[in-house]
Amino acid sequence: MVAIAFRGLTKVYGGVAAVDNFTAEVQPGRVTGFLGPNGAGKSTALRCLVGLSRSTKGRTRILGKRYPQLKNPIHHVGAVLDSRGFHPGLTGYQNLRVLASIGGLPGSRVDEVLAQVELSDARNKRVKGYSLGMKQRLSLAAALLGDPDVLILDEPANGLDPAGIAWLRGFIAEQAHAGKTVLVSSHQLAELQNVVDDVIIINRGKLVASGTLEEITGGQTLEEAFLRLTSGVTS
Amino acid sequence: MRLLAAELRKLTYQRAMWGLLVAAVGFAALGTASTPVIFDQTSDGLGFGTLEDQGVVDSVYANAISGYIFAILVGVLIVAGEFRHGTAVATYVAAPRRGQVFVAKLVASLIAGVVLMIISTLGGILAGVIALEFYPEAADPSVDIFVNTSIAAVVSGAVLGVLGASIAALLRSQIISLIGVLIWLFAIEPILLLLFPDQGKFFLQGLITAIMALDVESDQFNFDTANFTDPVSATLLLLGYALVFAIASLVVSIRRDVE
Repeated sequence: MVAIAFRGLTKVYGGVAAVDNFTAEVQPGRVTGFLGPNGAGKSTALRCLVGLSRSTKGRTRILGKRYPQLKNPIHHVGAVLDSRGFHPGLTGYQNLRVLASIGGLPGSRVDEVLAQVELSDARNKRVKGYSLGMKQRLSLAAALLGDPDVLILDEPANGLDPAGIAWLRGFIAEQAHAGKTVLVSSHQLAELQNVVDDVIIINRGKLVASGTLEEITGGQTLEEAFLRLTSGVTS
Repeated sequence: MRLLAAELRKLTYQRAMWGLLVAAVGFAALGTASTPVIFDQTSDGLGFGTLEDQGVVDSVYANAISGYIFAILVGVLIVAGEFRHGTAVATYVAAPRRGQVFVAKLVASLIAGVVLMIISTLGGILAGVIALEFYPEAADPSVDIFVNTSIAAVVSGAVLGVLGASIAALLRSQIISLIGVLIWLFAIEPILLLLFPDQGKFFLQGLITAIMALDVESDQFNFDTANFTDPVSATLLLLGYALVFAIASLVVSIRRDVE
């Protein structure tokens, strides 16, 4: 069974197709890079995948089911879609504690994931005092709460400094080593090349290419292959 | 139950909610305590009568429910805050069945509104008791006013909490929702009640006042509680408003994309 499937996904906003008949699969236990220029439809496809947006046509599946059909999804899927998604007046712990209680998880699990993303020292600090990098780590901690098998990460490197990007690379490698399925979208192609097994490229809402890293790059770097496949459209 | 517990946990974590509770208590206490002073210092209590009339003293205690404006603000903040801070994404990813999430928010708003109103009304009644101690000529209040005010506090807290949450879900903007309900409650409704009392009595403040079954009138303000609806009809109409808004906002919340 594939971990994630997009089947003819189409999402139209105001007469314009942000995602157009997009079909792709993510295999279980592998790290898949989801690439595309800005506005290519990556975020829209991911939002349809987790039920935040309704698809105009087509369907999506995670672990064989529509996302809302997953029982207590926090235990199956962790998603980082918006680093802004925390209440600034609450501490990092409080923000995660609310999400943990939705999933029926104890407060001790919040402390575990905060330690995993190295935010234990900022546990009781209000999120409005967090740097962008700290917010990204908090988003990753939120995604890990239910120890899910599938991680969906939309631009997790946004706002990270070089040390943060190196940390993120180690984080993704660690998740892959633990046998998790990771679907990660990013513009950090050089970094992605070191961690992904498979690649999906989308441009103007349509699938451009998908396959293993070797199949996609064909001896080139991931960046060179990406620019070739997207006709030089720079991100 | 998990969703409701999460919503209530979120509520207790937010300083703004505690601030609104304190403000509601202060508003109700000030409104109640200042009423006998105003009645005493104006001729014929602005046309309502003097503190020697039991109906006037009852109307002093009726001001104890004036914190209801804060119940609607709590409802607005519970829902609009999710859009303002972008937390709706994390909430709906953790709990993708939107109908259940929104019902939990409505129930949390109802509970928060009722709790806020019970506490602020008690504060207002206490302030009224203390203030009236300074007026030995004041009549004793009726027993009914405390019962009716308590009922009005619970009903108005529940209804306005749900209305606030529903309005925020329909408008999705915290600022527009807050400004909208403030203008409605502080400007439009009082004007309607003053200029068109036969129609105005069917809106929120007229109905909440009706639940308390007061017996006061003032020609100066074109105000006579005898023209208000009976308490049972007023309660049912308020609950009807809450139900209609709740259903409309639930439908919209289920259908609309989460941004």
